[in-house]
Parts: sequence; structure tokens; C-alpha cells
Amino acid sequence: MERMFRSPLSDRDAISNRAGIISAFRQLNIRFPFEGWLLDKVEKYMSHANDINDAKKPELSEKETSDSVSAIIELFHVLRKFIENGDVNSIEGMAEERNATVALLNLPSLAPVFSEKAKAKLSYSAATAYDALFRIREKDKLTAVLQFIYLIDVYVSVADVARKHGFVFPFALPKDSGIIALEGVYHPELKHPVANNIVMNGNESIVFLTGANMAGKSTFLRAVSTALYIAHIGFPVAAKRMEFSVMDGIYTTVNLPDNLGIGASHFYAEVLRVKKIAMQLGEGKSLFVVFDELFRGTNVKDAHEGTVEVTRAFAKMKTSRFIISSHIVEAADQLSAESNICFYYLPTTMSDTTPVYTYALKGGVTDDRHGMIIIRNEGILETLKNGNKNG
Amino acid sequence: METKMANDTGMSFSIDKQSLDELNLLGKFSPGSVFFLFKQVKSSGGEQLLEEMFKNPLLNEEAINERSALFKFFGDANFTFPFDPEQLNIMSDYVDGAVPGTHIVNYASVLFKSITSRITRDEQFKQLILGLQATIRTLKKCYSLVIAINGNEKVPDFYKWRIEQLMQIFKKDELSKLIDTDIYRSMSANNIASYDYLIRHMLKEHVSTLLNFICEVDVNISVGNVANTKGFIYARAYPKKQNMFRAADLRHPAINGAIGNNIEMSDRSNVIFLTGANMAGKSTWMKSIAINMYLAHIGFPVAAKSMEFSIREGIYSSINVGDNIGAGYSHFYAEVLRVKQAADATATGKRLLLIFDELFKGTNVKDAYDGTLAVTEAFAEYSNCLFIVSTHIIEVGEALKKHPNIQFAYMPTVMEGAVPRYTYKLEEGITEDRQGMMIIRNENILSLMGVTQNQS
Repeated sequence: MERMFRSPLSDRDAISNRAGIISAFRQLNIRFPFEGWLLDKVEKYMSHANDINDAKKPELSEKETSDSVSAIIELFHVLRKFIENGDVNSIEGMAEERNATVALLNLPSLAPVFSEKAKAKLSYSAATAYDALFRIREKDKLTAVLQFIYLIDVYVSVADVARKHGFVFPFALPKDSGIIALEGVYHPELKHPVANNIVMNGNESIVFLTGANMAGKSTFLRAVSTALYIAHIGFPVAAKRMEFSVMDGIYTTVNLPDNLGIGASHFYAEVLRVKKIAMQLGEGKSLFVVFDELFRGTNVKDAHEGTVEVTRAFAKMKTSRFIISSHIVEAADQLSAESNICFYYLPTTMSDTTPVYTYALKGGVTDDRHGMIIIRNEGILETLKNGNKNG
Repeated sequence: METKMANDTGMSFSIDKQSLDELNLLGKFSPGSVFFLFKQVKSSGGEQLLEEMFKNPLLNEEAINERSALFKFFGDANFTFPFDPEQLNIMSDYVDGAVPGTHIVNYASVLFKSITSRITRDEQFKQLILGLQATIRTLKKCYSLVIAINGNEKVPDFYKWRIEQLMQIFKKDELSKLIDTDIYRSMSANNIASYDYLIRHMLKEHVSTLLNFICEVDVNISVGNVANTKGFIYARAYPKKQNMFRAADLRHPAINGAIGNNIEMSDRSNVIFLTGANMAGKSTWMKSIAINMYLAHIGFPVAAKSMEFSIREGIYSSINVGDNIGAGYSHFYAEVLRVKQAADATATGKRLLLIFDELFKGTNVKDAYDGTLAVTEAFAEYSNCLFIVSTHIIEVGEALKKHPNIQFAYMPTVMEGAVPRYTYKLEEGITEDRQGMMIIRNENILSLMGVTQNQS
């Protein structure tokens, strides 16, 4: 599971294949056939197989050995039954792994296992013979069988999560088609998330996002980036519908921390990050790039100019897609000349004196001026105007 | 006039937890705090006293100048703290452990302990002897120290009565008898009982006066030493009516090798508008001003070459206001509320030092511009307050130039090749640094993407 999460796929077929398998697991409502204690016991036993010559590790007792051997026999029986009767047969994407496992189970050396009755009591001599078989002679086969079981575990649990939360399986499109279409995307970690739609393609390759600080810009950026990342490992995403072109990489910069220790400013760190991305883009890679408040660590003039220049350069990229959020609404005026930049904002409405956030994306550039409204509402200027100025 | 005086003494210096935290003033266990810097005391009583001083800034210029003069005297005289902290603890425990009673009762009790100790090796009697020995030893050292101070020509006048008072205590027959005791000779139970009665009953008040003196000396010596080793000086306090603040080579006391700057503010020049790049040192400079102002109000040495100030009645800072997401407030709203608190305090007519670092950075640029301008202009009218504001929005500076009471200062950035370097030396005016774009250009970002520069 962790390995899958750490290594997103950049091959469309592999993504579709994995998504197809998990989707089938979900539809067929396949249950994990093994009980937890059974696997625990087998794993412990096999860990002894790994370092059988390690004198420091205490030998398994006779009873433990006998119990473990029985557990493995039961494991084999359950697995065979699962494969023969279960729904896995109908899942095309798993054919290869399944057939390999069936071939393993049919090996003549393992035949005695299936002639035993599951949960049968073993004699001392039989237990010793099986011990030698499992831990030494056919150790690799047993390990391969366990790998298959783990795979099923992952598919079953991911399918479970998808079912429970109503996640969907995204549809992967060929690389370089530059399409990201999300319907009802939300942040999976929020209790009451607001879903949004967003479409990016060749004509709308950059989203320029504005809105107040608490209006939900960062959360929206996280929701989209998370969905795209999860989609690239073939897992289901928190959305109603999703299509995406396979990318070579995802770069997100949301709340980049100040790295005071090494003396680099936030601004310099951000410039270096932009540079790294620029190099990848220069090599012709297709990337998905997210910048939350680009260049916020410098003076406004430079942030303004830098945002406009860099965004314009990004706009020339054919197959990469960008979302850039900014406080500098003025930058939007200059960028509106570019045909493939589209503008969205997260609105703020005032309910009396308190700002209320809808978290629902709208087309256009924000013209909220609630900053001054809040300052006025708090009566700061009146207090100072009417205060005791002479001590 | 008299009622005014009463009001003055009833008021206290106002500074809240947020400012204390932002300036890292009190952190008892955090090595970077200003308190930690001065925590060189040896005794636990000394530490308590130090903490008390740190928590209670003074509002009276005479009290401040006297305290700092005393620190200076101890620092210059180079006294060393002669007491063993362990012995001091034993002594305090011993003195505090007295049971009220007459001489006879006490005598009987000591005698009883002495007898039981012989039979049962009673610990209580041993403790009593140890306590007595620690007290005699400490009193001896205290006497020599008082004599040494008394013999120093530079004892400040206001301190002379205090030393005289202590000399009088030591002149008492009972006490000189105690001090002359050789603790390495065996003492009869009879002697022990009478010394015990002396210390814990008859001279109790004098002994506790001496203990307090020892704590004070501990603080005086260690603060004086910190000033000597760190090269700090003592600020001169003036009545609050004078409304001025002047310092040369003022720097952050807790940063080694910090670079100093000059500052001069008065009621005709009560606002500083500070600009500069992010890492250029704006926040550190603002913190240096507030921390040294605080230190000056507790009479402690300040990190400067010279400093003069009139009494302030409080400090308000807003540096790196945190998002309070739990309460649903944005950074911006948190900042607005902070400014509101400061405005409320200012409107009462108190003489405050106000420090706002990057005002309203949590909102869009238009609002930040309008807000910074309006708030700065409103605060600037309070000529009895000192107000320092920093911002990224240098355009606000242009709009403020018409006010004669606003100074403009900036922390410069020097480009060395592609790398920005910061001098931390304040310059007059508004920054014109455009190293933001220079850095972007230097990194060749646009050409790396295959985009030609002239398209922008």
C-alpha cells in the first residue's frame, strides 16, 4: 500500500488497469477472506524463516511450530476456495497475478497440503515435515502467495474506502492531451466539504485564482492536487467525476514554509522552486503545477510584476496545466489579454460585520473589498479620531 | 497635583501576553528569551527577585535611574557573589523551620533532640546543627561583603542608608558573638540551644533582612556582570512629559554580534515608516526597539552605546500575528482585532510604544494599502505615542510624505551577483530595492522554459 502511494504511475494503461481492478472489487463487493489472526501467525512464523540461522532469535517452540503449520495449511485452503469460487475470476486486470498464484497452488510439492483437512490436528512428525517444506524448501512460493494476499488486502480496503465515502474512479486520458476535468471535487479530510467543478484543457491551461485569505483558496488547491495525485496511483478520488491526462509530474506549493535556518527567504525558496519547474518544462515535460500566493514574500511591485511575467511564460506551455492563486488582483487585469488563462475566485459575503465564506468557486476576479469594511466595522479609525490625543 | 501623583502610582505598565511572547521577553526556560539572557543568578531567592523585577516595569524615572545606578555600581566594583547556594538553601530552610515558643521551651526541645540523637541517631538534631553551621558561615561572609561595600567610595548616595542599616545589625552583640564562633570546634548542647534561639527567634527579623540583602546582591552582581560581558549600558530615564527617545547603536540584546542602529523620536517626530525586503531585518530592528525599551523600564542594562528615554506607560506589538484557524479568524481579522486593542489603549491618552510589523498583510493589496494608510495617519496624530510600522507596500510611504512627524527608514538589500546580501544598517527614505525581479531574472526562469524575455 505504502509503495503504491509513494510511486504514482505515469503510464496510462497501468493507471487504468489498477483503477479497473479496484473498481471491480468495489462493484463485486469482494470481502477479504482471511482473518487477521491467521495472517499475523503466518507472518510471525515466516519472519523466523527469514533468519533461520540467526542464533540470537529464539527458536519457535514445538507448539508454536505446529500451530503455525496448521495456520498455513488453513491459509492455503481459504485462498484456493477464494480463487475457485470467488469473483476474482471475472476481473480481467488480475488475470496474470491470479494465474500465477493458481500455478503455485497446483505445484506437486504443495499437493499434500490440500490432502490435509483444514483445521486438522497434525501429528508431531507431520508438523515437522511441513515445517521443513514451508520454511526451507518452498519458502519463496509461500512468500509469493503472501504477496498476492497483500495485494487483495489493498484492493479490498481501497474499494471499501471508495464505497464508504462515495469516491469515484477517474478516467485516465493519454499523456499530452492536457485535460483535467473535475466535477464535484472536494477535500477528503474535511467534515463538511464544499464541492467544486473545474475544467482545464488546451484553451484554458491556467487558472488564476483570487479571493480573501479565509475564503478557501488553499483548501481548494489542496483538493484538486490531492485528487490528481491519487488519480495517478489508480486509486479512487473525492469527486463526482474525473477525467485527467496522465502527467509527468505534479508540483504544488501551498504554504511554502520560511526556511530561516538556512537563511533563505520564503521568496528565494519560491524562486528556486519556480526555477526547478521551469527546467522541467523546458525539457518538454507535462506537469501539473500549483502555486498558492505566488511570490508573496517580496514587495508588492515585484510580486505583481513577477506573477505576471511567470504566469505569461506558463501560458505558453502546451501540455502542462497550472493553478496560481494571488492576492494581487491587479495582476489579473494584465493577464486577461492572454486567451488561455481563465479566472476564478472564492467569494466572501458580509453578514453584518462578519465575513461569511461560501467556498463555492465562481468565474471571474474577486472585487471583495472586505478588508476595509472589517477595519471600519471594528471602529478603529473612529476610536482614534475621538480619543485623548494630548495625554 | 497630589491626586495626579496618586494616579501615577496606581497605574501599571501595560503590556500583554502577546507582546511578551512576540518579543520573547519572559520565557523562563527558553534559551532565546531575554529573561534567560539575564538569568545568571546563583540563588533561588535571587531568581525569584529577578523574575519579579522582570514582570514589573517601573513608571517612575527616579526609581529606574536608582536601580540602574545600583546595577552599574555592582558591575563596576566587580564584586563576586561569595555565598554557596547550597548553604543558602540550608540556611533558609533552617530559619523558616522555627517553631514559635519561649526560650525555655526551645531550650528543652534542643536538649531533648540532643539526647535522643545520642540514643537513636536522630536525624533532626543533625539537621539542626547543619542549619546552624550554614547560617553562621553565611553570616560571616555577609559581614565581610557589607564591609567591602561600605568601604567602596562609589557607593551611590541613595544606597548608603541601606548599608548603614546592615552595619548596625552586625554591630549587635548577639550577632557578633555568633559570627565569631568557630564552627569547627564542638559546641555544647547548651550553646547550640542558645544560638538556635538567637537566630530563629530573637534575631529572626534581622536574619531575614540579611537573607533578602543576599538575594538583592545576587541579582545586582549578576545583572552587572551581564552588562559587562555583553557590553550593555544603562539607559537614562526622564519624566514622561519630555516625550523623547534617543539611542545610538541600539541592537537586539539576545542576538550575538547583532548590528546596531540609531534612533531618535520625539512628539514632533513620533512615527517611523519602515520598509525593506523580507530578510533585510525589519522585524529584528522593531523587536530590538521594543525589547530595549522594556529593559530600560525595569532599570536593566540595554544593548546600545547610549540611550535616553522618557517614561512610557505600555508597549503594544503586532509581529507575525498567527492565524487562529480554530476560532475561525483569518490572519487578517486577527490583525484587525490586534490593531483595535492598540487603538483602544491609545485613545485613553496613555503614552505607548506601538509596533506593527507588516500591517494587514493577510488581505488583498488594495485593502492593505488603504488600511495601512488610514491606520498610520490615525495613530500619527497621537504625538505622545511612539509608533513604528513596517510594510511591503512602499506606495503607502509616498502618500504619508506630507506628514512632517513621520520619518522614513529602510533596511537595504545589496545584490552580490545573484545572491542578496543584507547590511542590517538602517538608511533614510523608502526602499527602492527591486531585487525581487532581479532574483527572478537572475535565475533565468523564463528562458529555461524556452520563453524569450521580450515577450513580457
